[in-house]
Amino acid sequence: MNLPQNDQELLESFKDPATKEQAFTGIIKKYQEKLYWHVRRMVVDHEDANDVLQNMFIKVWKGLENFREDSQLYTWLYRIATNESLTFLTQQKKRSTSSLSDDENGLSNKLKSDTHFDANKLEWKLQLGIQSLPEKQRLVFNLRYYDEMPYEQMSKVLETSEGALKASYHHAAKKIEDFILNH
Amino acid sequence: MDKENEILKELEEISPTLCQMQKVNVFEVPENYFEELTEKLTLFTLLNVNENSAFIPEKNMTLSEMRDIPEGYFNSLSDRILSKIKNSEAQNEEEELINSFPVLYSLKGKNVFSIPQNYFQDLGSIILNKINNKQEAKVVSIQSKWWKYAAAAVVTGVIAVSSLIILNDHSKVTANTTASVTSAKIPDYIQSSFKYKTPEQVDEGIASLSDDEIIRYLEKHGSIIDNDLLTKGVDVKELPSTNDYLTDENTLNDYLQKIDAKNANQNTP
Repeated sequence: MNLPQNDQELLESFKDPATKEQAFTGIIKKYQEKLYWHVRRMVVDHEDANDVLQNMFIKVWKGLENFREDSQLYTWLYRIATNESLTFLTQQKKRSTSSLSDDENGLSNKLKSDTHFDANKLEWKLQLGIQSLPEKQRLVFNLRYYDEMPYEQMSKVLETSEGALKASYHHAAKKIEDFILNH
Repeated sequence: MDKENEILKELEEISPTLCQMQKVNVFEVPENYFEELTEKLTLFTLLNVNENSAFIPEKNMTLSEMRDIPEGYFNSLSDRILSKIKNSEAQNEEEELINSFPVLYSLKGKNVFSIPQNYFQDLGSIILNKINNKQEAKVVSIQSKWWKYAAAAVVTGVIAVSSLIILNDHSKVTANTTASVTSAKIPDYIQSSFKYKTPEQVDEGIASLSDDEIIRYLEKHGSIIDNDLLTKGVDVKELPSTNDYLTDENTLNDYLQKIDAKNANQNTP
């Protein structure tokens, strides 16, 4: 049987017990990469991203039956992935015994411990710059810079006004560029 | 006082001359201008949003003349408008990045993170397996949490108590008592507990036990000692959450140390 690609069809198939798992696999296949990278850029480590992503999809499985179809599936999935990432980072912060500086999650240290890390390369400086941002700004920057998400959609994911998001993105980009030029 | 009189009175106070002047509109508009304005504006705006359209209405073009446009034009108009809006938004974003943050623009698309091979191929089935396993295991989840605490608490208690007894006995042994005599009287399992002298060593001892060993031990001795050990010093409210326990290997050790400390305080006269 061919797997439907349209969100509406996938949601319909999910309601039918005979095609439920197949439809769910279809949703995972369709969105896994985008969501993985969204989570990975927030939590940095692959294993952490994998845990967050799997937990996130388990929650999606539980919540999909009650999903209100007047909102977009894509936006809803991004919102769950964002919440799961932030929850993970908060739990990690609570457990952390090290002194907390501006990079409160030790995410910069995680980046530096990557086997490919090269402090002289601009792309790594960019990542360090991103991790130096407050969580909300980091989210906004990632969604705009990497996912190229329109402000209107981002506004639904983060439940923030478009104006505030634009300002936040501008501040974030400025801070990161300054970070790259000064480090 | 109504609104008009109020405004007049205000103006009279500011400028009596102005107040006395008759209000006349000196500007003129073409005949029927307002009747057709809305329709004309809408059509004109829509047609100019389409970048392929070279259609510009003449100054005096009537609405019926403006309507003389390619067949089927309006069928796909909304799609073309949306696509144009999206393109222009994306263009603005890119332009903003190029002009304001050239360094960030030059780095766009460079990914420094690596992922395991075939990660995305297997992810769907891994998640479905987890979901199915969770559904099967749902019924025993509370018991299994208790079982983990019970097993660890029992083993810790036995090892720690055995160590203390042996250490106390050992310190009372006189200088002329030989090691061979001591070891002959003491059972093997107690002798093996000599090595657990510090909390760290006890932790290592627990870590070295397999699930099977714990289960066998509990089957043999659990019923006699577990009630006592579990009810003594265990406050359900203080138990770590399942998530904390599963995600942080130190949580159980920290918790058990807290119980040990609490018990030690209670036992101190």
